[in-house]
Amino acid sequence: MKKLQQGLRPWLTKYLAFPSDIMLELPRITVVGQIHVYIENHKGLATYSESELKLKMNKGYVKITGSSFVLKMMLPEEILLEGEIRDITFVTD
Amino acid sequence: MGKEIINNKSHLTGYVTISVTGSLPERFFQTCANEGIMVWNVKKKSVKICEGTIKLSDVQQLRKINRRKNYKIKFTEKKGYPFFLRRITKKKELMFALVCSLLLVVFLSNIIWKINITGVPKDIEEKISRKLNDYGIHSGTWIFTLDSPNKIQRELVEDIPELLWVGVHQKGTTFFLEGVEKTIVKEEEPLGPRNLIASKKGIIKKLYVSNGMPKVKVNDYVKPGDLLVSGVINENEQDEKEENKEEQSKKKYVAAEGDITATTWYEVIVNVPLTASHESLTGEQEKRYYAKLGNFKLPIWGFSDPDYQSVHRERKETPLYFLKWKMPVKIVEMVLSEKTHNKNKRTEDEAVQVGIMQAKKELKIKLGPEAKILSEKVLHESKENGKVKLNLYFNVEEDIATAQPLDQGD
Repeated sequence: MKKLQQGLRPWLTKYLAFPSDIMLELPRITVVGQIHVYIENHKGLATYSESELKLKMNKGYVKITGSSFVLKMMLPEEILLEGEIRDITFVTD
Repeated sequence: MGKEIINNKSHLTGYVTISVTGSLPERFFQTCANEGIMVWNVKKKSVKICEGTIKLSDVQQLRKINRRKNYKIKFTEKKGYPFFLRRITKKKELMFALVCSLLLVVFLSNIIWKINITGVPKDIEEKISRKLNDYGIHSGTWIFTLDSPNKIQRELVEDIPELLWVGVHQKGTTFFLEGVEKTIVKEEEPLGPRNLIASKKGIIKKLYVSNGMPKVKVNDYVKPGDLLVSGVINENEQDEKEENKEEQSKKKYVAAEGDITATTWYEVIVNVPLTASHESLTGEQEKRYYAKLGNFKLPIWGFSDPDYQSVHRERKETPLYFLKWKMPVKIVEMVLSEKTHNKNKRTEDEAVQVGIMQAKKELKIKLGPEAKILSEKVLHESKENGKVKLNLYFNVEEDIATAQPLDQGD
């Protein structure tokens, strides 16, 4: 059953144009220049330090590196990161 | 984004910055966020220390969460209105001053500051304020010691006979009194028996006798002191001879009353100069201000001397007040106005006209508004020393009757 659901979801997004972040439970990341990153729909915080933020997602992690990071806001599935952003990497395990 | 809203709200409710120590302290904030606690400004200080801000109202819940987690939590900063209030209330001097000033405001707003009397002339206004003083109502009294406006109203109307009605109402710290003056009609005293006699010589023009026995006729010539209307009425004049004995008892004494208009005449001598001089202000003026203490005047404003030919000085002194006390210092305002002397020359005819006008005016003032000047005539006119001397003759119609009391004892 779960397998079927997993297979159905990409199909729904592809043919019925459902929003992919909701359907596939993927994080939506909004980046404002180098200064802000707004991450919605993540699955929790893995590590956080001045220069690195690692957030869990459905499969793997999203890793943001840079310097002088401050978490401007934390809500259950949203994080607003402020600082100097260098790169955003997706790590799948 | 959302964080501004959060921050603004939390200023009112208060917010605290906490420092979390333990392994992976950021995980603690994530747990908080998952439990519905809003967290912002999260900063990692070191590997084991993380700082973040939460609302004051969430502190309870945060403690509950930490019971499971065993992090070390320290409150580093407390901000917002509740903390501000707590800090203020801790300062005793400030609280004392606050209470004092509140008391002062209460105190001052319970005092009558002004009594406003309108609608009546000055003398009655004075009377009202004196009466109010007697009742204990003057600027500076406690409002709550006063009687009700209705009572004051009643008392005032009773105590001041000139008042028909007075409206009293209080608006804040001001007392408004609106009065209506009674126009007192003097009850006419019953007049004693009297005659009317002539006060001037003249020829009677009109006779209107409302009470008494007329003794003169129209076109009669009268001298001062002549009897015009007699206050003694002899009821049966016709039967005088037949009932001689009863004559005395039939006499009736009344207060003679009536208008007796007569033509009178006046001779007036006036001197009119052929040159007239008068002063007029040109409109140019300067103001100077002095502070006056005793006899010493200290100039405050206006130092230069205006280059006027002749100067008209006008001074006004206003005393300075401190609250309600007059201070010894007065402010003197001096207005220097430029004036010019004008000289006019008159011709003889003009001078005569001016003389007649002048004499008429003087006569009118002397005789009162009832008198009517019928005609004027120049009897004689002479010119000497630059002056015109006029001998004028006026014909006037006026009431010449005056009362002369009758003594009944005689």
